[in-house]
Amino acid sequence: MRFVLRRLGFYAIAFWVSITLNFMLPRLMPGDPVSRMLTQSGARLEPDQVEQLRRLFGLDERPVVEQYLSYVASIFRGEMGVSISRFPTPVSEVISSQIGWTMLLGLTALVVAAVIGTVLGALAAWRRGGFLDSALPPVLVFVGSFPYFWLAMGALYLFGVTLGWFPLRHAFDVGVVPEWSAPFAANVATHLVLPALTIVLVSVGGWMLGMRNAMIATASEDYITMAEAKGLRRGRIMVRYAARNALLPSVTSFGMSLGFIVGGALLTEVVFAYPGVGYQLLASVQALDFPLMQGIFLTITAAVLIANFLVDLVYVRLDPRVRVS
Amino acid sequence: MARSAVSRRAALALAVTTAASVALGACTSGNASGTAAGAATKGALLTIPREDMGTFTRNFNPFSPNALPMTQQAIYERMFIYNPVKGEAVPWLAQTWETSKDGRTVTFHLNPAARWSDGKPLTAEDVAYTFSLQKKVMGGFDYLASAKAADAQTVQFTLSKPFSPALYELGQQVIVPKHVWEKVKDPAKETNPTPVGSGPYTTVAAFTPQSFDLTKNPNYWQAGKQNIPGIRMLAFAGNDPANLATTNGETDWADQFVPNIEKTFVAKDPAHRHYWFPPVGSTIHWQLNTTKAPYDDVRVRKALSTAVNRDQVVKVGMSGYAQPADCTGLSGGYNTWRDESVAGACSWTKFDVAAANAALDAAGLPKGGDGFRTLTDGKPWEVRISVGSASSDWLSVANVIAQNLAAVGVKARVDSKDWAVVVAGYEDGSFDTGIVWSNGGPTPYQYYRGVMSTETVKKAGEKATENYHRFGDAAADKALAAFAATSDESAQKQAASQLQRIYDETAPVVPLFSGPEWGLYNDVRFTGFPTQDNPYATLLTRGNTAVLVLTTVKPRA
Repeated sequence: MRFVLRRLGFYAIAFWVSITLNFMLPRLMPGDPVSRMLTQSGARLEPDQVEQLRRLFGLDERPVVEQYLSYVASIFRGEMGVSISRFPTPVSEVISSQIGWTMLLGLTALVVAAVIGTVLGALAAWRRGGFLDSALPPVLVFVGSFPYFWLAMGALYLFGVTLGWFPLRHAFDVGVVPEWSAPFAANVATHLVLPALTIVLVSVGGWMLGMRNAMIATASEDYITMAEAKGLRRGRIMVRYAARNALLPSVTSFGMSLGFIVGGALLTEVVFAYPGVGYQLLASVQALDFPLMQGIFLTITAAVLIANFLVDLVYVRLDPRVRVS
Repeated sequence: MARSAVSRRAALALAVTTAASVALGACTSGNASGTAAGAATKGALLTIPREDMGTFTRNFNPFSPNALPMTQQAIYERMFIYNPVKGEAVPWLAQTWETSKDGRTVTFHLNPAARWSDGKPLTAEDVAYTFSLQKKVMGGFDYLASAKAADAQTVQFTLSKPFSPALYELGQQVIVPKHVWEKVKDPAKETNPTPVGSGPYTTVAAFTPQSFDLTKNPNYWQAGKQNIPGIRMLAFAGNDPANLATTNGETDWADQFVPNIEKTFVAKDPAHRHYWFPPVGSTIHWQLNTTKAPYDDVRVRKALSTAVNRDQVVKVGMSGYAQPADCTGLSGGYNTWRDESVAGACSWTKFDVAAANAALDAAGLPKGGDGFRTLTDGKPWEVRISVGSASSDWLSVANVIAQNLAAVGVKARVDSKDWAVVVAGYEDGSFDTGIVWSNGGPTPYQYYRGVMSTETVKKAGEKATENYHRFGDAAADKALAAFAATSDESAQKQAASQLQRIYDETAPVVPLFSGPEWGLYNDVRFTGFPTQDNPYATLLTRGNTAVLVLTTVKPRA
């Protein structure tokens, strides 16, 4: 229990630091949203209209300290304000309408990559020098080091345009009404394949190498030799003795990645026109949309902290040593 | 609202996607058929991509600066529509209009057939109410003293001073229904999810973040012009994915930038795929900060302008899609205003290295020992050219200028930063030189006002939102006032000629080229798009003339 409390205290401080940074960084950027909007649209407005827009968007002229205090207060009230680049839609609505797709894409890709990578890594380490161990890591690292944009465009062209196996864009067919039904789910799934596949391709190598290295280290531990001496089945030793211990670093990175998927897969969203917060974040930075930027950063921060906290808890289950120290 | 096609598209060309354009260009030039919607399908919606919105947020409020595409084109309408290619106003909600002799009263006569999508008639009350609301919510129209409904079909605008450009601004304001908007508590923050408009396609049939469909207005007052079942807008997070859909034949009408358009788009189906880029967008400038030496000297401004090879700028920077500017600064949209006696005798917008060298020598900016020119006081001179890094086309324009300057011994450096930084420099007047858009509008008034009127010049240290180069001329003020005071066409032409002469004399900025009004279409499923031979509108999907296209195109028989 004390462990949990201590962790919670740590997270409270981390949260405060991140919301403060979140407040400061956008304000260090030059320009303001209204002039940004004018640049992007090329629209000319009368000076008094520009003033009117500034008032409408609630751009603050108050002292920074005052702005900061009301910002912190609004966070605790759960208010994220009104988006400027999507005025007058509230930030919470902009994020909530898209975060579902981001999570679906990110979670699918992450789970598939982590599971495949970890299993391959365990198998490769267990049969060191075998086919899996010698052929796969170089191939995966090679693929993983491709520029993502290039890989995604290539996959889109090959499987989407030339072969026509998968749809080219969007989360579901245009004209289909979202509903909880099997045909709609199938539609979403076909649209998910290419974007998720490209993310898996570039990330699976990392998971595999990480697991393989940890597995090799554990495989040379004394208790493995001991288990072999006892005459346990090879499979049991691999899974219950070696893999369980080698899994710890992978769990950590899984937790970290879990937090980051909320930030979205920017390039994936751009290439496949997949709705999501990643592109929204880029767009809000370009438009200097402070409230939306803060809202998305806050969501990411919260997700990373929560995911880390969960990982801490899982660690306690997986690794008895944490409980003791 | 005047919009410059080039700057928008330029600003939106994300740096991240430029790398991919090469890849996509290679991809799409292959033999791609895939899921192309080749066959003419019955009941198909006119499909239009938007490359600058990764997702759509439901907001059909025409007063909002972020209203969804088609809000001001398909849902709400204007009293007339100005077509910049023909230079004429097409009667729309209003059948006729006139300005009183003293220039203080503008009267519009509405079409008695005009109706809202809920079946109620569109009257002068609605128009008068719209202007009071617009003034309250968004400001502007500071010259408008009152807007009154004289009778059901007659609206009378009283101006606080004679101001002839008002006609076009009043006529092109989109009109909203009073009976709906007077019930809205806070019109500025309204998202208007189910709009009641007078336009041809007002029914929101489907809405998701990635696309939305607008279908027929059940009570359209020009039902004979609703030839298509509706419009489908698609959201894309950048040019490349939008271009993939366009080159794949999945969109009918588009206006995003397509690199190498002949090869990537037209070549796949030359019989049906066409583009048309009339150079009627606003003039793009290379502005020199006239509060700084040596740019305060008109001889230097003209010399630098002479050093610029505009043909090369247009060819290299703008893929040949634009038209080089002349010494009136007027874009192709103002051809009827152009004074040939000025335009025919242009000197400082013609590329001439020898003349530029001579003029710079005469201005007291001699070449130093290293071959580069110095300032009059002998200090080294370096021209910094600011441009937003996201605008890849303007960036190459700036690079061409820098090379041109080197040829006359002027050291130049392209200073490409994020647009926010660049514009912040423009606004506070700390920039040196930079690439910039200009004001547009149906008459040259707004253009010249933004370029050389003293009232748009802000004092040093004050933030400017136009006339960033901070140049004002008293004679120009007089000519502008004369222009605004009369609604007589020949008197306006006279004032416009005077403005062109002053512009030619003072060279307030260095005009580079007229931005094209971008647009392309694929007439496999729909026919009747505007063309060079039938320029009834431009091909800009987000412009005022879009409604003319929407009420003209027909499904292919």
